[in-house]
Amino acid sequence: MKARYYIGGAIILIFLGLLFYNFTRTNIEYESDFVKVMQSGKVCKASGVWVKEKFYQENIQDRTFVFYIRDAKNNEMKVVYKGTKPNNFEIATNIVVTGKFENGYFHATDVLTKCPSKYEGQNVSTSGS
Amino acid sequence: MIGNILMSIAFIGAIFSALMYFLNYRGYQNTLNYARIAFHTMATSTILASVFLLYLILTHQFQYKYVYSYSDTSLPLGLLISTFYAGQEGSFLLWALWMAVIGVILQQYCSVRGDLEPRVMAVYSLVQSFLLLMITPVVKNPFALIYSEPFMASANTINPQLLNLPFLANYIFSDKSTGQMYVKIDQSLVAGLQSAGISLREFIINGRGLNPLLHSFWMQIHPPILFVGFASMNVPFAFAFAALIKNDYREWIKQAFPWLLFAAMVLGLGIMLGGYWAYGVLGWGGYWAWDPVENSSLIPWIISVAAIHTMIVQKKTTSENSIGAFAKTNLVLVILSFILVLYSTFLTRSGILGDASVHSFVDPGYFAYLLLLIFMGTFLSLGAGMLIYRWKYLQQITPPQNNLLSREFALFTGAVILGASAIVTFLGTSAPILGKAVQIEFYNEMNLPLGILIGLINGLSLLMKWKESDGKELLKKSTFSLLSAPILTVIMIFAGVKDFKMILFAFASAFAFFVNVEIAFKIIRRNIEKAGAYIAHMGLAILFIGVIASSKYDKSIDVNLVKNEPADVLGYKMVFTGYSPTEDGKYAFNILIEREGKKYKASPIMYYSDFNQGIMRNPDIVPFVTKDIYISPISYDDGTSSSSSQGTTLQIKKGETIKYSESEIEFVSFNFPADAMQKMMAGQDFEIGVKLIVKNYGTKYEIEPKYGIRNGEKINEQAKIKDANLQISLVSMSADQDMVTLSVEPVSAEINNEVAGKEVLAVTASIKPFVGLVWLGTVVIVLGFFVSMLRRLKEARE
Repeated sequence: MKARYYIGGAIILIFLGLLFYNFTRTNIEYESDFVKVMQSGKVCKASGVWVKEKFYQENIQDRTFVFYIRDAKNNEMKVVYKGTKPNNFEIATNIVVTGKFENGYFHATDVLTKCPSKYEGQNVSTSGS
Repeated sequence: MIGNILMSIAFIGAIFSALMYFLNYRGYQNTLNYARIAFHTMATSTILASVFLLYLILTHQFQYKYVYSYSDTSLPLGLLISTFYAGQEGSFLLWALWMAVIGVILQQYCSVRGDLEPRVMAVYSLVQSFLLLMITPVVKNPFALIYSEPFMASANTINPQLLNLPFLANYIFSDKSTGQMYVKIDQSLVAGLQSAGISLREFIINGRGLNPLLHSFWMQIHPPILFVGFASMNVPFAFAFAALIKNDYREWIKQAFPWLLFAAMVLGLGIMLGGYWAYGVLGWGGYWAWDPVENSSLIPWIISVAAIHTMIVQKKTTSENSIGAFAKTNLVLVILSFILVLYSTFLTRSGILGDASVHSFVDPGYFAYLLLLIFMGTFLSLGAGMLIYRWKYLQQITPPQNNLLSREFALFTGAVILGASAIVTFLGTSAPILGKAVQIEFYNEMNLPLGILIGLINGLSLLMKWKESDGKELLKKSTFSLLSAPILTVIMIFAGVKDFKMILFAFASAFAFFVNVEIAFKIIRRNIEKAGAYIAHMGLAILFIGVIASSKYDKSIDVNLVKNEPADVLGYKMVFTGYSPTEDGKYAFNILIEREGKKYKASPIMYYSDFNQGIMRNPDIVPFVTKDIYISPISYDDGTSSSSSQGTTLQIKKGETIKYSESEIEFVSFNFPADAMQKMMAGQDFEIGVKLIVKNYGTKYEIEPKYGIRNGEKINEQAKIKDANLQISLVSMSADQDMVTLSVEPVSAEINNEVAGKEVLAVTASIKPFVGLVWLGTVVIVLGFFVSMLRRLKEARE
């Protein structure tokens, strides 16, 4: 009888250990301050608004989409996204980019557009995540 | 008015019936009739309110805020109906509607089963009270009039003949950045209209419309089914809670079982339909993205499935002097699966996930947020409180579990593994509440080993006997599966499955598949009624094999398809044959696909949406038995415009400098002759230019791309700098904002690029092996659930 509890306990411990390990390993922080994003150079999710006045590039040949975003403190950051301009980009009130800051710009692997429309449960497709 | 009254009656009816049912349980005989009347009044009012909302939508009564916000006159009937649940208010009403319908059936079901009705219905009505409270006129009212709060309505939804009414000037606003005109609709405007003898309905003649992303066949099916699942999850909870109230745990398992199976079946189906929508229409590229919204409904589903497994054990081991094994576990799991439905609602409705999901959320307002929290908190504390209260007694009466090599224990192990998977998903999905997020990898990494275990236990448990199994006999029974599974696994390895864990997963799934096929084959011929579990488990194994093949071993490539020029893509000959408009005003880009003489056609869709102010893209799929060819459009270039998509579009402000590859481009000034505007208006010759300075490796070039009319013909003069490998043309300019849009491309592109001047469609083409198995697996699982449900319904009648 006792042996069973030990084995069970060990399995639970292994599971919790794995859970904790993988959770911290794959964890990404949200960051709304671009100064911190630029300094840390770690993978994070940065959210801000699209700087419409600045230029943006849609380069079809190497499939990059370049634009600027701005945080609440008016820090601007250049974002290079490997992919096409997401649906809903123009009307997005907020843009969340996942990636890291390196060599003077933010390398985004994912761009998320948050829309002002009232639809919930809607699928605003962005990229192949 | 009618809507508000109906909603209020429904809400009061729900509370009253909960109270009366409870009093009846406490011994007041005469309250039973009141409770029933109140419950049916609630149900009738909810149904009538829903019918009324539908009527408002179908007759385009845009003076109602909800109707205005989600529908318009151009929607076809099916989609128009689906705007019923396009917003929060309506989807809560839909949930309440299903609760009402299911509740009427449940009341019938309970009234013929002893003293069940007052306890179960009291709990059920209490839940319905909370749901209805969410949509009462004071919280999220689906029947709010548009002017209840000042509302900015787009001018193009207003009757144009009435826009020039003199007093309207004070209410018209324009958004400078977009040039859109709005009319502010508030009480005073409505009063003004009234005194002019105009009704609001004549004034507002169209609505904002439904987001084009939701213009889909699946919009008409997926949400209603999901909400049936949500609503029916409440039933097993009501049974469990009723058992705790009475402190009697024998009967509820049998009585709740068909309901639990129904809830799990419908919720599972709803979840997978959402997956198909994302894959086939929205172009996510896969059926499961571990998006928080998907996850949040998956978690209660997993827990409910775990509950099914341990409930079978209790049911089987119940005898005259024992309440059966896992009585505590079952109560916990069933209560948890309902709390998790509420948690899912909280996550997706409170706006708390904000930045974490591709789904958009509205911040419902502080009051509604608090209410959702109270809703969840109430039932969490009720459930947990009752369990703690009864725990000691439960501890005494629950018999111990002894034998490791028995079906009982195997089922329990299965439930534990499912629970672990739910914990993983719960943790990842809840992380955004703490301002963190996990990468997709987290879910895959953690769930893969659990998947392997589920596959193995799925097979093994069904070979084991109740109470005690003999090891040797077990081995003998699994001979067929143990021999067949490696063969299938080897085939899958040859087909490309390489990763060690994936091979294990493949083996486990194959094992489960063969065990279930063998048993199901034997049983179906004798007694199909009892085959439900085997069919469902076989479906799961099929789904797993589909997941292995499609998630890790798909091939994908980006290609440019030149019109009428065949290209070799992933072993297929693909030709872009041009585009054609579709019935609903979109564009289908037709691609002929050929291999070994067989021809197929794919027509992915792209269109410009006014609603989203951007290009929308829908993929197209050519399904085969062994794979899907998945074509996702990227862009289309008709080869005529100078702003060709080969290059880049730049927006520059006057005085600004922008880097483009190795060059720096500075916008110096406009060359805008004073009479250019006049001539343009008159259709005479004119030229407008933009003076730019380009610096390239220390060399400065002054250039001036132009456009205008020369000798009666339109010109668009590019400025070329060969040494800097740059050609620039004007796309548009906006003098009042001192801004120009330029098209910039390398000169070499023109020389080297054979596609210049030709129509080019850029797509992502993928081969997704065996995705079909995921859908087939889902159908088989649902079928299995259905067969089981019928069987358990019969047993519950005894």
